[in-house]
Order: sequence, then C-alpha cells, then structure tokens
Amino acid sequence: MTPPRVDVDAIVVGAGPAGAAAATVLARKGYSVILLERGSFPGSKNMYGGVVYPRILDQLHPGWWNDAPIQRWITRRSTMILTDTQALTVDFRSTSWGTPPYNGATAFRPDWDHWLASKAEADGAQLVCSTTATGLLTDEHGHVTGVTTDRPDGDLYARIVIACDGVNSFLAKQAGLYGEVDAANYTVGVKETIALPKHVIDERFGVRDREGVDIEILGGTSGVNGGGFVYTNLDTLAVGVVLKLPKLAAQKLRPEEIIANLKAHPGIAPLVEGGDVKEYSAHVIPEAGLAMMPKMTGDGLLIAGDAAALCLAAGIWLEGVNFAMASGMYAGEAAAEALAADDTSAAGLAGYERRLNDTFVLRDHRKLRRAPRLVLSDRVQHLYPDMIANTVERMFRVDNPTPKPGLRRILNQERKRAGVRLKDLASDALDGLRSFG
Amino acid sequence: MIALVPVRHGVLPAGAPDAIAEAGGRVLIAGSGVAEAAIGGHADEVFLAELGPFEIGRWTAALAAVVEELPDSDIVVLPHTPDGRDLAPRLAAALDRPLLAGATEIRAHRVRVARRGGLELHELRPSGPFVATLQPGACDSLSFDSTPIVHRVDVTDTPATAHDATVVEVLPPDTQTMDLTEASRIVGGGAGLDSDERFTQLDRFALAIGGVMGATRVITDRSWVHHDRQIGTTGVVIDPDLYVSFGVSGAVQHTSGLGHPDHIISVNIDPHCPMMSMSDLAIVADANETLDELLRLLDAPATAEVTP
Amino acid sequence: MRIAVCWKWVSLDREREADRRWAGVSAADEAALEVALTIADERRAAGDEEPTDVTVICLGPAGADDVLRDALAVGATSVVRVDSSTELDSRVVAIALAGQLDDRDLVLCGDYSLDRGTGSVPAFIAGELASAQALGLLEVRPVADSTALAWRVVRRLDGGRREILDVTPPAVLSVEGSAASLRRASLAASLAARSAPVETVRGPHGRLPEAEIHPYRPRARVVPAPAGGSLDRVRQILDVGGSETHAELVSLDPPAAALKILDQLHDWGYLDAPERAHPGSG
Ligand SMILES: Cc1cc2nc3c(=O)[nH]c(=O)nc-3n(C[C@H](O)[C@H](O)[C@H](O)COP(=O)(O)OP(=O)(O)OC[C@H]3O[C@@H](n4cnc5c(N)ncnc54)[C@H](O)[C@@H]3O)c2cc1C
Ligand SMILES: Cc1cc2nc3c(=O)[nH]c(=O)nc-3n(C[C@H](O)[C@H](O)[C@H](O)COP(=O)(O)OP(=O)(O)OC[C@H]3O[C@@H](n4cnc5c(N)ncnc54)[C@H](O)[C@@H]3O)c2cc1C
Ligand SMILES: Nc1ncnc2c1ncn2[C@@H]1O[C@H](COP(=O)(O)O)[C@@H](O)[C@H]1O
Repeated sequence: MTPPRVDVDAIVVGAGPAGAAAATVLARKGYSVILLERGSFPGSKNMYGGVVYPRILDQLHPGWWNDAPIQRWITRRSTMILTDTQALTVDFRSTSWGTPPYNGATAFRPDWDHWLASKAEADGAQLVCSTTATGLLTDEHGHVTGVTTDRPDGDLYARIVIACDGVNSFLAKQAGLYGEVDAANYTVGVKETIALPKHVIDERFGVRDREGVDIEILGGTSGVNGGGFVYTNLDTLAVGVVLKLPKLAAQKLRPEEIIANLKAHPGIAPLVEGGDVKEYSAHVIPEAGLAMMPKMTGDGLLIAGDAAALCLAAGIWLEGVNFAMASGMYAGEAAAEALAADDTSAAGLAGYERRLNDTFVLRDHRKLRRAPRLVLSDRVQHLYPDMIANTVERMFRVDNPTPKPGLRRILNQERKRAGVRLKDLASDALDGLRSFG
Repeated sequence: MIALVPVRHGVLPAGAPDAIAEAGGRVLIAGSGVAEAAIGGHADEVFLAELGPFEIGRWTAALAAVVEELPDSDIVVLPHTPDGRDLAPRLAAALDRPLLAGATEIRAHRVRVARRGGLELHELRPSGPFVATLQPGACDSLSFDSTPIVHRVDVTDTPATAHDATVVEVLPPDTQTMDLTEASRIVGGGAGLDSDERFTQLDRFALAIGGVMGATRVITDRSWVHHDRQIGTTGVVIDPDLYVSFGVSGAVQHTSGLGHPDHIISVNIDPHCPMMSMSDLAIVADANETLDELLRLLDAPATAEVTP
Repeated sequence: MRIAVCWKWVSLDREREADRRWAGVSAADEAALEVALTIADERRAAGDEEPTDVTVICLGPAGADDVLRDALAVGATSVVRVDSSTELDSRVVAIALAGQLDDRDLVLCGDYSLDRGTGSVPAFIAGELASAQALGLLEVRPVADSTALAWRVVRRLDGGRREILDVTPPAVLSVEGSAASLRRASLAASLAARSAPVETVRGPHGRLPEAEIHPYRPRARVVPAPAGGSLDRVRQILDVGGSETHAELVSLDPPAAALKILDQLHDWGYLDAPERAHPGSG
C-alpha cells in the first residue's frame, strides 16, 4: 500500500499558552511543527487579563521576564473573606516578588499569548492564524493522522497531533478522551475591566511603579458558590467572579448582578469607585477535579492545557496559564520522544502522563483539592500558619515555674525559624490591620 | 474662499448648503443643468458654469481654468460627497494646490479634517491656497432674504482630450432605500453587534416600533446588511424624528448622515463615544443582550412586559 | 490583460507601528483584490489564452510584507512594495504609485484606506495617468462577454441615488467593501506564500505637515440670538441643542436597559399605549 501522506511532523491545534509551549519544544528539537490558531492572532480570542505564574518558563525561556509583556508584578496577594458587612483580609506583601526572578504578574492575554507564540515562531514553528481545526483525521485503526480545517483543501496530515484547543476541547471529545461531562464540573467566570488612572490605582492599592495586587475573595458572590477576584493592571482593574454553574442556574441571579453586588460591597467599593467599565467578558472554566480529567493520550494524539481540563478554578482559585504552559511543554517533550522512537501510539506517548504525574501539574491538582481554600498564597500557606500557631501556642503554654518569655522574643524566634523576613512581616501586619473592619 | 458645488441635471448634492455656508455664501455651481439648480436662500453670490455631462477629466480641465479667473477663489470648498470627493483631488492636482479632504471645519489658516474612520480630528494649518472637501452636516446652512447675485461664467470650451468614463444612466434611490430615506423612526446597528443574526433581530425591533433598520459602513462592508441600508455620507442620508443606535460609535461620516432627529437613544459600552454624547438617552449596556431582552419584551404578552 | 490592485497597509496602533496584530488593509482594499481576481477567473473561463496579470502594489513600510504575502496566497500573480516608512501626502503617494502603474489596463483601489480614508489617492492616480476614473463602486461587470476590455460599473451617488458608467482602459476604479468579499487562501497556498520574497522598490520620503490630533467631537453649532421676553430668552437658551442639555446617561444591565428604552419610547409617544401596557407601569 502507498505510504500515508505526511505534511509535517506535528500539528499543534490552538496557539494559547499550552499550544505555544508545545510547539516551541518540538521546533527546538528540530521537528517541523504547524501551530493552528482560529483567531486572527494568538490571544485575539482570549481578551481578558489575569494573573499568570510563569515560574515554569524558567525552563522554557530562561530570563523570560526581560521581554515578557506584563502589566504589573504581583507584590501583594490578599485573600478577602466577605460577609455582608465585614471584610477580613489576609494580606501578604513581598518586595522580592517585584524583582527577578519574580513570582506572578498581571498580563493581557492578547499580549501574553502573542508573545509566547512569536517565541515558538522564532524557534521555527509555523504559526497559521485565522484557521480553525474542524476535526481529526484518523486511519482505519483510529490512529490520528491529522486534522481537517475550515480552509479550502484544508486537510493537514502529521505524525502526531497535539490538541491545545482550550476548554470544551472539540478534538479531545471527538477522540473520545472525555467521559460524560456534567455541568457540575464547570464554573463560569465573568470579569469586568475597569479603567482608572495609574496613580489612583497605585494609591488605592498601596503600590508603585510596576508593583501590583491580586485579591482573591471568598464570599461576596451573593450566596452563589464561588468567589471573586480583583487584579491590578497598569491602568485598569479586573474585577470578577467565578461561579459554580448549577448553583447559579438555581439562583436566578445574573452574573453581572453578582459582580455589581461585589463592587458595591463596603470592602470593595472604595477600590473600584469612579472607574469606567471598559470591557465585560464571561467564560466557562473546567473546575479543578481529577474526577473529570480526561485520558490525556490517544494514538497519535495528546491533549494539553484547558483541553485536558488542567485548570484550577476551585472556587476562588483561578490558575491555568501556568498549567497550560507546563502541560504543553511536557506534551512537546513526550511527542519529540515518540517521534524519535517512531512510535506515536498511546504507548509510545506514555512519557506525557508520566511527566504530568511527576510534576506540579497533577501534584497541585491533588494537593489543592485538600488545601484550605481561604489561604492561597504559598507563603501564607506554608510559613505563616506554623509561625502563628507556634507563637500562639508558646504564649499560652504555662510552664511554671519557668517565667513566660516575652512575646517579642517568641515572635522573633518563630519568624526566624519559619524564615519570614521582618520587613515583610511588619508590612503585612500593617496591611492586615488596615484591612480589618 | 468659494464653494464649488458639482451638479447633475441641476440636482444639488447633499451637503451643498453646508459648503456654501462655510464659504460665506459664495458659490460656483458647475456641471449639467446648472440653470435649474435651486440653491434657495443659501447663497448671496452665485457663479454658474455649464459643463455638460459628467466627465471628470474634462470637467477638471474646464474648472481649473474657471477657478484661476474667479475673484478670491484661493480657497475652494467642495462637499465631501461622491462627486465632490472625486473632483476635488483632480482639481487640486490641476491647480497644483494641496488637498485637505474630509474637513469638518475650514478656515483660511486652520482646517480640521476627520481621520482614522472619522474618530479623530487632525488640525492642519495651511499657508496659501488650497482645495478642501467638507463633511456634509458639519455646519449649519446660511439663509439670505435677498435673492443672490448671479454671474454666468462662460466656459472656454476645452477639447475633450481627457479619457473619461461615460455615464449610462443615473438611477433614483431604489424603493428599498426609499423607506430608509423617508422613515421617521430609524434603528441603526454598528460593529458593537456581534453577528449578522443580530441585524435580523434589529429589523424585527425596528418593525415593532414602526421604524426601519439601517447600519454603519463597517457592517455593510461585512455584507451583514445590504449596502443600501448604510446610513451616512457615503450611504443614505436620513432625517428621522427618532434614531435608536446599537453599538454605533458615531463616527462623523455616520452622524453626518443622520440629519437632526428630535430624539436619539444609544446603547453602547463606551459612555464617551460621540454617538452616546449626542444622545438624549445614552445607555451603557451590552447591545446584543439588550436586543435579546427587547425582543423578549416585545414578543411577550403585555402582562409579561410590565413585570421587570 | 494587466491589472494592478492598490493596497494600503495601516497599523491601527500608533505606539506599536511594527505590531502586526492591529494592522491590515481596509475591507474595501480586500474587495478590490477580489474584483480583480474575479475578472481574471472569468477571462480564463471565457477561454482568453493570454493570462491576466494581477499585481498587488503597496506603498508602505516593511511591516506590510505579511499582507502582501496573503495577497499571493489568494492568487495574486505578484506583489510589489514601494518602500516608504513615513506618512506621505496622498498626492505624493499617488505619484509614486503611478510610476508603477503606467502599463496597466485597470488599476483597482479600495474606496478608502483605514487611516486617511478620504478616497483621494485613486483620483490622484487617475489624474497622473490621465486614466478614466470611477470611484466608490458597488459593482464591476464586464460589458458584453468576459473577454471584452470594457466594464459596466455601478457607482454610489448621494441620497441613495446610483449611476451606471461604462469604462474602458486605461481606468482607475475604486470599490466599496461590499462590492465583493475576498476569497480565503488554501492552507497549502498560505503556507507556501510565507517564504515568498516581496519585490521592493525605493519609494519617496518626506513628511506630512504636523497636525494636532484630537478625538472627534461634533462642531459647535451657531445659535441665533434669543428673542422675546427675558423669561422666553432664558428658556430658549436652556433649550439650545436640546439633546445635549436634556441628555441622560445611565448604566443598566440588559433587562433594565430594554425596559428603559421601551419606557422612554412610550414617554415620547412612539409606542401607542392601547396596544401595549406601559412598561414598568405594573
Ligand atoms: C474568566 C477567566 C479568568 C481566568 N483567569 C486566570 C488567571 O488569572 N490566571 C491563570 O493562570 N489562568 C486564568 N484562567 C485560566 C486560563 O485562562 C486557562 O487555563 C488557560 O488559558 C489555558 O490555556 P490553553 O492554552 O490550554 O487554552 P486557551 O488559552 O483557551 O487557548 C486555546 C487556543 O486555541 C484556539 N482554538 C480553540 N479551538 C480551536 C480550533 N478548533 N482550531 C484552531 N484554534 C483553536 C483558541 O482560539 C485559543 O487561542 C482564567 C480563565 C477564565 C475563563
Ligand atoms: C470616506 C468615508 C466615508 C464613510 N462613510 C460612512 C457612511 O456613510 N456610513 C457609516 O456608517 N460609516 C462611514 N464611514 C466609516 C466611519 O468612519 C466609521 O468607520 C464607521 O461609521 C464606524 O462604524 P461602527 O460605529 O459600526 O464601528 P466602530 O467605530 O468600530 O464602533 C463600534 C462601537 O460599538 C461599541 N461596542 C462594542 N462592543 C459593544 C457591545 N457589546 N455592546 C454595545 N456597544 C459595543 C464600541 O464601544 C464602539 O463605540 C466612512 C468612512 C470614510 C473614511
Ligand atoms: N500607500 C498606499 N499604497 C497603496 N495603495 C494606497 C495607498 N494609499 C491609498 N491607497 C489606495 O487608495 C485607496 C484610498 O485611500 P485613501 O485615499 O487614503 O482613502 C486605498 O483603498 C488604496 O487602494
């Protein structure tokens, strides 16, 4: 029989964070890659801004922060607990997050995705925009051999296809990698972009220059399961809520009403006052939950990022870009292995799931299901609890006849033991106080 | 300064009175059937130049000669309508004068021109003679009680050397656009509406309030709506009592075609765009969802409607 | 037969001139290419053995090369970029373009460019080449059979009037965006086109006179001096440009917005009450 047609080594569908990372890895290894994007440019369909945690890029693009198109570096991360009348804030500030290697940043997706994809192009991947993959091509054994696109004679054949086509991946479903998906596993995210002059934002959020704030909110969503967020961009704020679908349906409340209520809350109102709404967007997010995670591998097919439901949206948690970039990167590596070994069957691609299991991608998903939802930032999660717990414990422990040690001494010892810098602690304490009542 | 108004069979183009007003009441009416051209009380000094059928190359040659002769015609203002827009560059080249096209305001040493899809005004400071085109509706027309002084300019019959297109026929506005030009209630849609289906909805809403539907050029260019529904200087010029706009930014070329409605309602997410600032009721909301809701309300039985 | 199509590449983002994302050509420019390609197709179909050359010409910076490659992908015979980085006067642009166009039977332009948008360049080109001109066209059809070198075109006049013209070469035509919608390139073609070289010729340089740039605002209207008694005068002054003074700006969610609209229409008497209960009156 005639050898099957092959146009390129790999087709990556979707030029989001996942797709760009996958294409970059493959291109660097010298494989021919076509990166398909339905939008007129990468990110054009992902117009909202958010917070990204690009640590993973240290491996993919060392020194990434030098040219990454970010709005503000997150140097303050707060978790707010709202009741109808009160706001309790756990606030963490680190000036070190405002200097290389940085931690998180706010960024606009049209900038971020465009930047990541152009890096893939620079490494030799062929980006083809305004082109939608409409389905998978398979051989008689169901081995994926390419994709059909919406272009005239748009069939494209490859030795492997990596589907990074985002949430509700049409391709992953067509390949039968998803089981029954029920709405309970999805949350809907709605966001308003609110314009305010930079100096006003700096002042209201107590930051300067490129410093920024990420506030995650529990409660304040009008009784609907979920949470809210407020991010600072350079001269806009992102205010949004993430809502569990079934509850929302039951609640007869419209997402925009819930945002309106959130913005009116005494804890939030002073932050957003006087700004013009520039943009309103709503999206479906696959909620964290290994429960709904699909098979990640098929014959000649890998899925990564949101397409593989690798997005954490457990209530107020909203992380996906980092998981997308990581899973895309690992998919690229696994695909390269398989291409080298000339075995792109599911077995040959096993390297992918192994990598996911060994790294934060799936570890975080496991851990975070158990992690307390209120306290989100790593430092607050790992350092403060011990420090505070121990301090409090030692304060109240009665060791007669040994006299009580002074609170200051205890705090200092515990702070040192926990490795918290005094400067941070002080500023946090202050911010904490400010935010109370 | 003098206005130059090209006419066909004596029919004045839209925006002629504005151009004449900008030139302080002096106008050179040129083209075919100039004698029949009725400028009403809009001018106080009129020059008539009969040029015969519309042939841009020949007209240009003839007019260049005429303009050279006319007293203070160092600044020539044409309406920015199809004939004016096509003639102005040819004339400017023939006279070797700069062309300032699509102006909203013309003074001897300060001219504002609309750019970037009519959302920006560029202020230019010309020195010396120039040719300009003025957006229709940019200013109010003048009205003089006295009948104007009329001069006939005899056109030195230029040999028809120029290679020109030949007019086969001029079609009146077809009935499809008549309803738009004559409607007293118009509903307009712009790029804020996210798909062609929205314009089917818009049509239904227009119908429901006894009006007709129009659109901006961005929409007609996308062929979401037939081009004869385009409202504005290069589309249909309307003058309704009521204009309701959905997702229209209000670029000058669009608003110039709006006439002076008694009532304007606009739905837009940008409270500061020109369309909103010229509305009696400006609603900041998503035009698409608002349209859904409107149809829901209008379809619903009266009782359903009163319960918000 | 030889056709040239003029494309103006514009970056809509002043700060980021080089940024491809917000750059492109107008819908009218795309329509111009489609009209040209259609003429070529029809001539071929009608058995015209001499192939029709369709060359796309753009005066602009290197950033424009991408869209020119897109033009190749959809079937342009060749593309030329007249290199010029600076914003030039429309007449200077036309003269430079005309230099490339004197051997063309037809020059097809868009009715407007994305930034200047005055539609004057095609007229200037026609002037330079002493060609026939027909601008702002909605339709371009061959007169008689497709191989004839004569076209019957429909041009928009004001007030909804249109005119029909016959044009013969050499002619400059400009078309509106609605005249045709540009075909999509096949995947193979657009991949092939990426590496295609873009012929570049040196273009003019110079500058537009500096202009102050403001957002568009309607021009203030002249109001006749109020007459009558002092009270009437005050009233009249208050009524000036009625819409401005009575303007109401509200931010509502869609259902409320819809009600508000019907409510207002009702108050203004556009909805006759008997037919429909007054919104919000319950
Ligand atoms: C409201 C909201 C807020 C969020 N905020 C954050 C945040 O603050 N921080 C964070 O880390 N994450 C956030 N996320 C999650 C994050 O956006 C996603 O996890 C991440 O974008 C996933 O990247 P991806 O590449 O897998 O998919 P996407 O970013 O969705 O990219 C998919 C790409 O594929 C293209 N595409 C889709 N189908 C096709 C097709 N058939 N053919 C061709 N191309 C196709 C799309 O156009 C798109 O460009 C948020 C999500 C939402 C909805
Ligand atoms: C020579 C020339 C002649 C022209 N002639 C005409 C003409 O005759 N008629 C004409 O109309 N134009 C004409 N134009 C084009 C004109 O300059 C503008 O480009 C056009 O009118 C803009 O149309 P638009 O308002 O639909 O689009 P845009 O200017 O893009 O405006 C879209 C608007 O929708 C709003 N919006 C976006 N999303 C939403 C949402 N979800 N809900 C509500 N609002 C939303 C935005 O805030 C914006 O205000 C001409 C231009 C030139 C240069
Ligand atoms: N720099 C340019 N290069 C090529 N074609 C141009 C250029 N500028 C204008 N045009 C053509 O002239 C038409 C009208 O442009 P404008 O006169 O700027 O509105 C455009 O649609 C193009 O077809």
